[in-house]
Order: sequence, then structure tokens, then C-alpha cells
Amino acid sequence: MNYLLLAALAAYVNAAVHAILAFAYKRRSVERVAMVSLGVGFALHTAAFLRDWIQDGRYPLFGLRETLSFLAWTLVVAYGLAHFRYQIKALGTFLMPLVAFLVTATLLVRTSSDARAGTVAEGAAGWVFPIHTTLLIFSYAAFFVVFAASAMYLWQERELKLKTFSALFHRLPSLTTVDDIGSTAAGIGFTLLSLGIVTGAILSSQQTGRIWHNDPKEVFALITWLLYLTMIHYRIQWRGRKSALVGVAGFGLVIFTFLGTRLMGGYHVFG
Amino acid sequence: MSIILVGLNHKTAPVEVRERLAFTDESCAETLQTLVDGELISEGLIVSTCNRVEVLAATRGVSGDEGTARISSFLSETRRVPRQFFGEHLYTHADEEAVRHVFRVASSLDSMVVGEPQVLGQVRRAYSNAVTAGTAGRILHRLVHHALHVAKRVRAETGIAASAVSISFTAVELGRKIFGTLKGTTVLVIGAGEMAELAAQHLAGAGASRILVTNRTTETAEQLAQKIKGTALDFSSLPAHLAEADIVICSTAADEYVVTPEMAREALAARQRRPAFFIDISVPRNVDPAVGELDNLFVFDVDDLEAVVASNIREREREAERAELIVESEVMQFQQALRSLDLGPTVAALRQKLEEIARAELKRQRTRLGELTPEQERAVEALLMSTVNKISHPIISRLRRSHDTGEEEDLKAWRNTFGLEE
Repeated sequence: MNYLLLAALAAYVNAAVHAILAFAYKRRSVERVAMVSLGVGFALHTAAFLRDWIQDGRYPLFGLRETLSFLAWTLVVAYGLAHFRYQIKALGTFLMPLVAFLVTATLLVRTSSDARAGTVAEGAAGWVFPIHTTLLIFSYAAFFVVFAASAMYLWQERELKLKTFSALFHRLPSLTTVDDIGSTAAGIGFTLLSLGIVTGAILSSQQTGRIWHNDPKEVFALITWLLYLTMIHYRIQWRGRKSALVGVAGFGLVIFTFLGTRLMGGYHVFG
Repeated sequence: MSIILVGLNHKTAPVEVRERLAFTDESCAETLQTLVDGELISEGLIVSTCNRVEVLAATRGVSGDEGTARISSFLSETRRVPRQFFGEHLYTHADEEAVRHVFRVASSLDSMVVGEPQVLGQVRRAYSNAVTAGTAGRILHRLVHHALHVAKRVRAETGIAASAVSISFTAVELGRKIFGTLKGTTVLVIGAGEMAELAAQHLAGAGASRILVTNRTTETAEQLAQKIKGTALDFSSLPAHLAEADIVICSTAADEYVVTPEMAREALAARQRRPAFFIDISVPRNVDPAVGELDNLFVFDVDDLEAVVASNIREREREAERAELIVESEVMQFQQALRSLDLGPTVAALRQKLEEIARAELKRQRTRLGELTPEQERAVEALLMSTVNKISHPIISRLRRSHDTGEEEDLKAWRNTFGLEE
């Protein structure tokens, strides 16, 4: 049993519950509990990650289980950055439950990828592999932030147009703020995705002599890349609602690239 | 000891009655000293605002009715108004009820517009008047400080004051919702209505950095610009300046659309599609409703703003229910604290404790004394009781002293020594 991760999960669940309560009842003390719990969870989570790294003697980011755990960890990092920059609390209410869910999934998924973990990382230019995966997971976290900001944008935009406001409306950050968060995160996510794809191509050309395998994951990653490229290109013309719609749709594509393509088989299926 | 509140407010009395009873700050200080006689009434405070006149008093061990009668005759004498003129409008609250009322008033739950922030300042001023007059004592100090604490909690934990309940503040609030902060925004006022002026002033107060004013008559525009520290523009240049404005307030007497969808579309393109907020408070409307269909452009007309105000008022009322729960739990806490302030039970408990000890000792040793005459029996009893009194007397006077000077620690120490309940 992974007690360290279990303890992290407990802290994350506590954080999620308090974040929701703080959102509903606007109690500053409850909010503090959520933030402290999140910090504790993050510390434990980091410790679990480092322990795995030392124990297994390899970068612990391979296969579904480790990827889910790492994704949760990067989401906390992304939230920390967004919170530091914009002081927005509402995001945590949606993000902390997701983090708790991902860690739960991590604890439930069986480990079955260890056997193949060595093969990629020990081949030619194997050192690129952890960079490739880390970059991509961070880009997913950034796209999640884009998604959350876009959803908040669309929700508020709709209520402003209809002129009827729900309780949620008053608790969300302003339109300009969420638009700003969305476009900043999209820029970061896109850069990370580009670098992730490039490192993947380098790794693959070193190990198999091909940079492209026509693998579903590669195809969808390319489509995702093109979509965000378009979004960034039309940043000004699409400012506001259109960008937000792309932010939501793009994240659907990200999820599919991440999970859906597993079902379609191919070069990228490990776990 | 009890707490009494006698008063009238906007719900129970018309303005003709309220204005006759109102106190100024100066008259508060003067009259308070006549109210607080040190016998019947030991502490007093007057809250006087345009919506209420209330006298809050702490009385010395008398029934509530006596204190109430005293206060209403005080009102009649000092304000020179016959009792029958305001008698039917008065309400009276005693003890727990009075505490609850004070908490509700300070938290703005009893206000005409629930959640309005002024009342807290008015309660503070009433208190400082009483302090100046020297009529606020131990109980009112506690009560007012607790009331301020409750008001702060209610503000922080509920949304009773969260949303705007006037049209111009609603405009400010919506502006904040769209732009985050109003600092650095540009406001364009088209027309010269009173409402437009008020809204522009509120926006400037909230941080809008530039105000442009335009009107069909140039002089009117210049007058308004001067008044609200803005810049007057020529009416013909309106389409060109529309792009600069983040917030547009439209309030002209024109009976056609002053802002058309074409103008708005061009302005949006020129401002790189950054969002814009149009407030149309003119009737008939001056902004073509089709403008509101453009992305990143939000148009609110008078009806829309009024609907927002109405829904904010409903929201406040919902939040007020949560505030009542906070008040309720604080009333309980205050009552408990107040009981510990009351020395009577402590003194009684101390005497009883010592007497119990004496009686128990007598009972234990009684057989050794053998047969006693009834006279001797009484003498033994009297001996014990006078010993108890002699021992407890200095303790009780010490307790009284600590109590009067508010030395809580000392009181607590004595209570602990004798194992007395608070």
C-alpha cells in the first residue's frame, strides 16, 4: 500500500471539501483550511514522487498510473501559479476535487507498466524520454486551466447577455480576468505542447529512425496543436466568446488524445 | 440587573413622529446624564438616525416595566412631546430580546435597505456619545463591542451587503464584473440626464480614469464635463470616440437610436474586440437593441438594471436569513457572558458553599457534644453562621471591588478557589 500517496489523497480530499464549503459560504477561515490542506497534500505527493524515483531508480512517469498521479501534481502546480498571479479562489473549487479524483484513480489503477518502462528510457537518447513526458503533462495541466477559465468566461458571458444572474456569477472572477488567464495559459500550454512534440520526434528518430508513426496519439496531438495554434493566431479577432469556445473544445481533444487514443492502440500504448 | 431597549423605527412610526423625537449628538450627551440617575438606570445610550430613535439602558435590579416607563417619560420630557403622540409607535425589548435587537440593528438586518452600511457607523457614534457623557458602563461597553463584532461577522460571512441595490451602483458592479477593476477605464457619457451624471460620478469614484462627455448642445456637454471633471467632445465626433470608451452611458432625449449596430461594430473592431459595456438609461432607448447581440458587447437598459436591483434585493433577503442564525448564536454567547458578569449568583453560591461546610462539620461532631438544650443548640448554630459570615465578608467585598473595576481574572480566581460555577 502506498501510504504516502494515501496521506496525500486524504489532504487533497480535505482541501476539496473545504474549497467547496468556502465557495458556498464565503468563510475565510474555511478557505485557509483548504489552502493549507492543499499545501500539505502537495508536499506529501511530492515526497511520494521522489521516493518512487529513488526506489525504482527511474523517473516515475510511465504508464497510466504514474501519469495520472503526475497529472494531478502538475494541476496543483498550475493552480498555485494561477493563484499567485491572479488571486482567484473560484478555480480551486473546481480543481481540487479533480486533483482528489485523479489521485484516487492513481491508487486504484494496477501497476503493469514496469516491465516496459526501462526499454524506452534506456534506448538511444533515452534521457529525452522524461523530458518529453513531463513537458506534455504540464501542457495538459495548462490546457485544463484554459478550459476552466473558458468555462467561467462562457458561464458569465451568457448570464450577462441574458441579464439574469445566479449565485455562482457573483463568486467568479471578472470576464477580463478569466480571458487573461485563458490566453496566458493557452500560450504556455501551446509552447509546452510544441516542445513536447519536438522532443518526441527526436526520441523516436533516435530509437526507430522514424519521426512519425501514424499512431493515433500522434495524429490527435497534431490536431490539438493545430487547434491551439489557430486559437492563438486569431487571439484578437476571436477575443472573448469564440476563444472560450475553442478553449472548451480544445480540452475535449486533449482528453481524447490523453485517454481515448489508448483504445485505438499504436506505438504510444504502454500501460 | 437588566437591559432595556425602548424606541421606534421606520417600521413602527411615520417620519412626522421620528423627526420630533430625534436627538442631535450634543443633545444626546446632555440628556443622557438626566436619564442615567445611578439608581434606577445605571447606564444609557441613544441611537438616533433618520430611521430610528432608540434608547438602550441598563437598569439596576428593577423589573422591565419600571425602566420602560422611566424611559418613555424621559423621551416625552426631553423632546417636549406628549406621551400619547408617540406612545403607540414605541416598542420595548428587555434582556435577551433587547440584546437581539441591538445585534440586528448593528448588523443592518433591521434597516430599511437590509445590508446598508451606514447604520454601523451610527451605532458607533451613539456609543462614543455615551462614552463622552460617561453613561456607558460595564454592560453597555460589552454589549456594543459584541454588537460590532456581530456586524463584522455578518458582513464577512454573508452576502447581505454584497450586491448593489441602486441603479448607479449596479452599473459600477457590472462594470467590475466585466473589467475586473475600473481603474484605467474610460467612460463616455452621451447626453446629460441626472441619472447619467450620477452613474458617471459613481464610476469615477470607483476608479474610472477618464470621462468623456458629449451632447447635441455643446454648452450642455461642457457644463456637465466641468461638473464631473470630464472632457467635452463635439457630438459629431461620437462615432470616432466610441472605440475609446470601455463604458458608455447613454441618456439623451432623442427619440431615435444614437448608437447603431454599425457604429458599435466599428468601435469594437477599432478597440481590438476588447469588451465594452453600454448603459442605456434613456427612454425611449438610444442604443439599438441589436447592439447587444454583438460578442464582447454588453448592453443594459433601464429595465435590465432595475431587474438586477430587484434580484439583488431578493438575494440580500436570502442572505439575511443566514445572518439571523449568526445573530442568534451570538445572542446566546452574549447572554452567557452576561451571566458571568452578574455577581449575585456568585455571592449566593459562595455563602451557600461555606454554610454547607459548616453544617456538615456540625453534623459530624454533633454526637460528641452530647445532650444540649434548645438554647445551646441555637447558640452553636449562631456561632457557626457568624464565623461563616466573618470569613466570607472580606471575600465578598473583594469580589465586589474586582467586579466593579472589571478585573475578570481576579473574579475567576476567586470562583476557581471555591469551585463555583460561573
